[in-house]
Amino acid sequence: MDHDEQGSLPFCSTEKTPRIIAVGGGKGGVGKTFFVVNLAVALARLGHEVIVVDADLDGANLHTVLGVGNPSTSLADFIAYREKDLAKLVLDTAIPRLHLIAATHANLASAQPGHFQRVRFLKDLRKLRADVILLDLGAGMQPALMDYFLAADDGVIVMTPEPTSIENAYGFLRAAFYRCIRSAVSSETIRTLVTDAMDQRNDLGIRSPYDLLREIVAKEPQEAEKIEEAQRAFRPRLVVNHVLSAEEVRLGFAVRSACQKYFGIDAEYLGYVNEDTAVRKAVTAGRPFVEAFPRSDAAVCIGRMARKIAAVLVEHAALAPSLPKVQVAENYESAD
Amino acid sequence: MKALTEQTHYEVLEISRQATPAEVERAYRLAKVAYAEGSVAMYSLFDEKELKEQRTQIERAYNVLSDAAVRAEYDQTLPADAELATLPPRTFGLRPSALVSSLSTAEASSQLDELVHFDDAEESVWDGPRLRRNRIGRGIEIEDVAVLTKVSSTMLQFLEADRFDALPATVYLRGFVDAYARCIGLDPKQVVPSYMQRCERARQSAIPRKIG
Repeated sequence: MDHDEQGSLPFCSTEKTPRIIAVGGGKGGVGKTFFVVNLAVALARLGHEVIVVDADLDGANLHTVLGVGNPSTSLADFIAYREKDLAKLVLDTAIPRLHLIAATHANLASAQPGHFQRVRFLKDLRKLRADVILLDLGAGMQPALMDYFLAADDGVIVMTPEPTSIENAYGFLRAAFYRCIRSAVSSETIRTLVTDAMDQRNDLGIRSPYDLLREIVAKEPQEAEKIEEAQRAFRPRLVVNHVLSAEEVRLGFAVRSACQKYFGIDAEYLGYVNEDTAVRKAVTAGRPFVEAFPRSDAAVCIGRMARKIAAVLVEHAALAPSLPKVQVAENYESAD
Repeated sequence: MKALTEQTHYEVLEISRQATPAEVERAYRLAKVAYAEGSVAMYSLFDEKELKEQRTQIERAYNVLSDAAVRAEYDQTLPADAELATLPPRTFGLRPSALVSSLSTAEASSQLDELVHFDDAEESVWDGPRLRRNRIGRGIEIEDVAVLTKVSSTMLQFLEADRFDALPATVYLRGFVDAYARCIGLDPKQVVPSYMQRCERARQSAIPRKIG
């Protein structure tokens, strides 16, 4: 085998599909950007090529946290068709193996991408050269964010131990869950039923996912199987940030249990991050704390999750070509 | 998705049918806290009546599964294929289709341990933050340590924050660190020398040098 042939082996970066991990959580200020950046640094330090993407067109600030002053290009250029090649928007950062697609210069009049722009974005994202792409979804639950969350290989929900944050995390989960099952069914009647059920004050008496599924089984039992399949495939990962006590660690288990008992989905408790004064110092210094204070409490917590994910990335490299995820997003035509 | 009353005791406690008595115990403790009155994780999803029903089922499940003889009898009543239903995928990133065939009981039940007793071994130095991390990770509150060691929580907080200036003299501190380590299940032979060495060094460098 000559050198050129070696260059096109399936495991070369040109052929590898990156694993996409979307990070959301509904509420602003729970530490999504903090989590994304530091997880990205930790994964890059473990030897992986990482691209972080700021999908938060309304409140982009990933570039600041990564010390990239005023980015010359932005995801907004791709959304507005100013740049057709997503790969050209990838910027280097000061950290080896860590790259960024910023989200500055958005057209504030129409910052949210439409359906076709979203599909195009998700398709092209898969073509980027990287081992892993971390998508920072920012706050809120706009349709675009939900699509990204569901189309990713893994969706991570970041929350803090405050009741308001937990409530928002459930709100985010509920929106993603209904959207996920609506795209799984083919019957128009059932799609409409799911849309109606999304209004929590609906007249149908549907108050929980369990009520909805019971209603669907009664109406069109053949659709129920598809929903069960979608439920099994929908596996959010939970992260509790700003943990101060052992009780707050246990909260993650409680939320996981609620996912099982209320939504019928098997969420994974990916980990927690202890509250740490080093974080604020690092932010003030304009550096990711995993890099600035690698032995700090929070950095150790993030490192643990990074190792868990890194173990999967190796496996993913072998399985990736068979992962059929972008298709999910294309089924959303009428889902907004 | 099954109604609460249709779930097996294993599903109620979210454990596999091969769960060890220790795993049953731990799952029960977590479930009890999760569905307690006023639980932060539950109030926005379940009303008080539903939560009460959950608690009743959790108690019922625990009463059966914590008694080996009663559990064996109960297992006989479960259909053989119930095992698959009680084994949700557990490993980050694995897709369900790939899991049904490959899932082992160890994978299904080890998640708690994986998260709680994380691998801390690569570090050699025992400092305050590492002690705190281990305490929190092992599910122990600082107040619990205070009660068991009879050392005040303020002092324990200083210990975890490496506040050597605020901690007592070496002879007392050694005893505190020893008691703390034992209390959270660490080996004091490893923890105490490492912690005390750092403390001594910090204290020596903090002594102002005499001028002239």
